[in-house]
Amino acid sequence: MSTSSNQDPRLTQSAASDTSLLAAHEKAAGKQADEKGNYKLLPLALLFGFSGLIFWAGTYLNRFSGQFSGKIFDENSHPSTGAEVVAKIDPIVLGKKQYAAACIACHQADGKGLTGVNPPLAGSEWVNGSEERLVRIVLHGLKGPIKVLGVEYSAAAMPVFGKVAGSGYSWSDEKIAAVLTYVRQEWGNKSGPISTELVTAVRTKEGDRKEWSAEELLKIQ
Amino acid sequence: MSHDTQEVSANDAHARGPLLLLLGSGLVWLVLSGVLALIASVQLHTPTFLASCAWFTYGHMQALQETAFVYGWLANAGLALGLWVLTRLGGEALRAGNWVTVGALFWNLGVTLALVGIVAGDATGHSLLQLPRYVQPLLLIAYGAIAVAGVLAWSGRRNETSYASQWYVFAALFLFPWLFSVAQLTLFVLPMRGVMQAVIAGWFAQGVFTLWLAPLALAAAYYVVPKVTGRVLPAYQFASLAFWVLIVVGAWTGGRHLIGGPVPAWISSLAIVACSLLVFHYLVVWLNLKGALGHGGAVMKFTAFGLLAYVIGGCADAFTSIRSFAVITQFTYFTQAQQQLALYGGVSMLFFGVLYFAVPRLTGKTWASAALIGGHATTAILGVLLLVISLGVAGWTQGQALLKPAVTFPEIAAATRPWLLLATAAYAVLLVGNLMLVVNFLQTLAAKPTVPAAALFQATSDIKETA
Amino acid sequence: MKNGTLFFLGLFASLTVSFAVVLLANHQLGALTPYFDDGEGKAFPDRMPGVAARGQLVYRDLGCASCHTQQVRRPGFGADQTRGWGERQSVARDYIFQPFPQLGAMRIGPDLTNSAGRKPSALDAEDLMNLLYAGQGAMPAHAFLFNQVKVTGEVPAKALKLTGSAAPAAGYAIVPSEQAQTLVAYLLNLNTVYDYPESRPVVQAAAQAEGAHK
Repeated sequence: MSTSSNQDPRLTQSAASDTSLLAAHEKAAGKQADEKGNYKLLPLALLFGFSGLIFWAGTYLNRFSGQFSGKIFDENSHPSTGAEVVAKIDPIVLGKKQYAAACIACHQADGKGLTGVNPPLAGSEWVNGSEERLVRIVLHGLKGPIKVLGVEYSAAAMPVFGKVAGSGYSWSDEKIAAVLTYVRQEWGNKSGPISTELVTAVRTKEGDRKEWSAEELLKIQ
Repeated sequence: MSHDTQEVSANDAHARGPLLLLLGSGLVWLVLSGVLALIASVQLHTPTFLASCAWFTYGHMQALQETAFVYGWLANAGLALGLWVLTRLGGEALRAGNWVTVGALFWNLGVTLALVGIVAGDATGHSLLQLPRYVQPLLLIAYGAIAVAGVLAWSGRRNETSYASQWYVFAALFLFPWLFSVAQLTLFVLPMRGVMQAVIAGWFAQGVFTLWLAPLALAAAYYVVPKVTGRVLPAYQFASLAFWVLIVVGAWTGGRHLIGGPVPAWISSLAIVACSLLVFHYLVVWLNLKGALGHGGAVMKFTAFGLLAYVIGGCADAFTSIRSFAVITQFTYFTQAQQQLALYGGVSMLFFGVLYFAVPRLTGKTWASAALIGGHATTAILGVLLLVISLGVAGWTQGQALLKPAVTFPEIAAATRPWLLLATAAYAVLLVGNLMLVVNFLQTLAAKPTVPAAALFQATSDIKETA
Repeated sequence: MKNGTLFFLGLFASLTVSFAVVLLANHQLGALTPYFDDGEGKAFPDRMPGVAARGQLVYRDLGCASCHTQQVRRPGFGADQTRGWGERQSVARDYIFQPFPQLGAMRIGPDLTNSAGRKPSALDAEDLMNLLYAGQGAMPAHAFLFNQVKVTGEVPAKALKLTGSAAPAAGYAIVPSEQAQTLVAYLLNLNTVYDYPESRPVVQAAAQAEGAHK
C-alpha cells in the first residue's frame, strides 16, 4: 500500500476500508483502563484530569455564583447576608443631591443663607446643636421668629419635608437623615451624622402636627 | 476479517446529485461571504467606505457576512459532508435523496431572502441569529427535509455498531432544529422580556457552534483521519465521554459573553465553569485525532490545521472566559478573533479537508488541478493565521486601551488601525483561496471521467492497530 | 452506543437541561417588576415615550449595536465608570420596558447606556444630529438619514446649522428624516438615573474577607 506522499495530490487514497474502521473502533471503544491488569498511564491521567476539572468547577460555582440568586450581579457577594452586603447609599452623596434639589434655593450653595431673610446653616448653633430639634425642623417645618448666630429672623418659613400630613415634599426618613448629615459636615460644620433611625423615631413619636415654633423647640433637648 | 475492499460503490454515485447541490451552493455562499467580510473589514478602518447608503452600514455588512458564512457555507457544506459520512458508514444508499434536493433548494432560497432582509434592515441584532424572523420558519422546514435523510441513514445502517462520526452527525442533525425552534419561539413568537433575550441569544449562538457546527466538523474529521492514516484512533475509548461532555455542557457556555453585564452573576459563572469542563473534550479530541499531523497531503493538511485551531480555540475560550481575562477581551476585536478561529480555523478548515476527500468519491473523478489545491491550502492557512493574529492583537490593544480612561476613542482607532488593515489583507487572501477552490470544483464537475470510478481508487485494506 | 433510543433520549435530555438553565434565569428575570421608591413616590425605570421606542427600532435596524454597547459593568470591573458611562452597573431591571434590548457586544464606539444622563457632557439634540450627519473619527456619517431640501422662504426649523465644508449649497438646507428624529429621541432617552438596591456596589470589606478576587 502506498503512502500519501507518493499519491496523486488530486486524489487522496484511503488506507482503510469503512467496515474495518467500524469494527476496529467498536473493539477499541470497549477497552478498559486496567485491561489485563495492566494499568496504563494515559487513561488514568485522563480520568483524574476530568475529575479535577469537575472539582474545580464545583468549587468555582460554590464561590462565585451568588448562590444562584437573581439579585446578585457581582460574583463576590452572597445573598445570605442579603441587604446588609449591599452598600448603603453614601448619605453625603444623597444629602448633597437632596440639598441641591430643594434647600439650596433659600440656604444657598455656600450654606450662608440670605442675611435677614433665610438663616445660615454654616456654623449655625441649630444645625450643630441638638439632633432632636434639627430633625423636627426638617420633618415638620418651622414658622415664626428665630434667632440664628445672633441675628433675628422675624418670619422664618421652613417648609414641611417629612413624610407627614401637609407635607409638600414627603421625603423618606433616609433622605432627611442624609441631608442633615450632609449639612452637619459641610461648610466647616463638624457635627456627627444623623441616623435614619432617629428620624423615624421622632416622626413616630410626634406624628402629624403643625410647624414648630422656635420656643417650642427650645424646650426639647 | 474479510471486508469489502472496494473504496467506492453505487452508494456514492447515488448520493451524488443532492450532496453536490449542497456543496456547490455552499461554495457560492463561501465566496459571497468572503466579499462581504472584506467590505465590512474595510469599513472598520475606513468608515467612509460605502457609508452613503443605509443598506451598507457596518452593522448590516457584519450581519450579512456572518449569515452568509454560517447559514450559507457552513450549513450547506456541513450537511452535505455529514450526510455523506453517515451513508458511507451506514453502508446503504442515501434514502430520501429527493427530500435533500428540495430541502437544499428551499434552504438556499431562505438564506437568499435572509440576506435581502438584512440589507433592508430586518436583522434581529442577535449574534449568529441575524436571520430576519420571517425567513426562520422556512429555514427550519427546509432543514427538516434535509435532515430526514440523515435520520434514515442512521436508523437504516447496515452495521449495528456505531462510530464517533455517526454520533456527532446524528446529534448535530437533531439538536439544531431543537435549538432553532426554541430560539424562534422564545425570541420572536412569544418574546421573553428584557435581558432574557440576550441570555437566550447567547444560549442559541453557543449552541450553533458547540451542538451543530462543531459536531459536523468533528464527524468529518473522525471519519477522514483513520481513513487516510489507516490507523485505529488512539485513546478512542474516551471518544464517547468527550462526545457527551460536549453535548451536555456545550450549550451552557453561552453566558460568557455577558460577564459583568446586566445578568445575575451565576449565569456567567456557570458559563465559565462549562468552558473549563470543555477542555476535557478538546483534550480527548486532540489525542484521538493527532495522527492527522505530519501526514502530508491536502486532506490531512487542512484537517490537521482545523484540529489545531479547534483545540486551541477551545482552550482560548476557557482562558478568556475567566473574569480577569474577560474584563480585557470582552467587547473587543479579540472576540471576533476567537470566533474566526473557531468558525473559520476550526470548522471550516475541517470541512475543507473532508471536501477534498469526498468530492472525488462523489463524482468518480480526480480533482481537476493539483496546483489549485495547493494554492488553496497555502492561502487558507496563511489567511486564517493572519486574520486571527491581526484581530487578536487589535482586540488586545483595544481592550487594554479601554481600561485606561484617558485614552480616547480616536486614539484607540489609530492604535488598532494597522492591525485592522492587516485583517483586511487576510480577508483578501482568504477570498483568493476560496476562489481557487470554486474554480477547481467547477472544473472537476465539468471534466469528463477518463477511467471508470472504481479504477481510480486503490483497493482498501484492513485498518491497523495504533503503533 | 448501540441503543439508539437511549442515545436519542440522552441527546434530547442534554439540551433540555441546558434550556432549563435558561428557564431558571427567566424565572428570576422574566417577571421583574418596576421598583417603587417610597421617597420619590414613583416607580423606576420609566417607560420610553413612543417616539423613543420607535427610535430603538431604527437603532436596531441600522445595526448600531455592532459598535456600541448598552451595558455598564460595575465599578472596579473595567473602566466603565471612570469613562463616565454610568455611575453604577447595569442590572436586569433597567431593560424591562425595552422590547428589543440592545446590549451589544462590541465597543468600537463608547457605551450608550447612560448617554443622555452623562454629566456634564451629555450631547443635546443638535450635537447628536450633527454627529449623525457628519460622522466623527471612526463613527461613519449617516447622511442617508437626512434630506437636502431647497429653501423657499424661511429655513425649516429642523434644519441643521452647519458651517464650513459640511454646509449645503446656498439655497439648500439639510433636514433630518423621521428616522433621524426618532433615533435622536431614543438616544436622548437613554439614561439610568435611579439606583436599584441590586445595583449598588458590594461593600468591599465583605468581599475582601472572602478571599482574593477571581
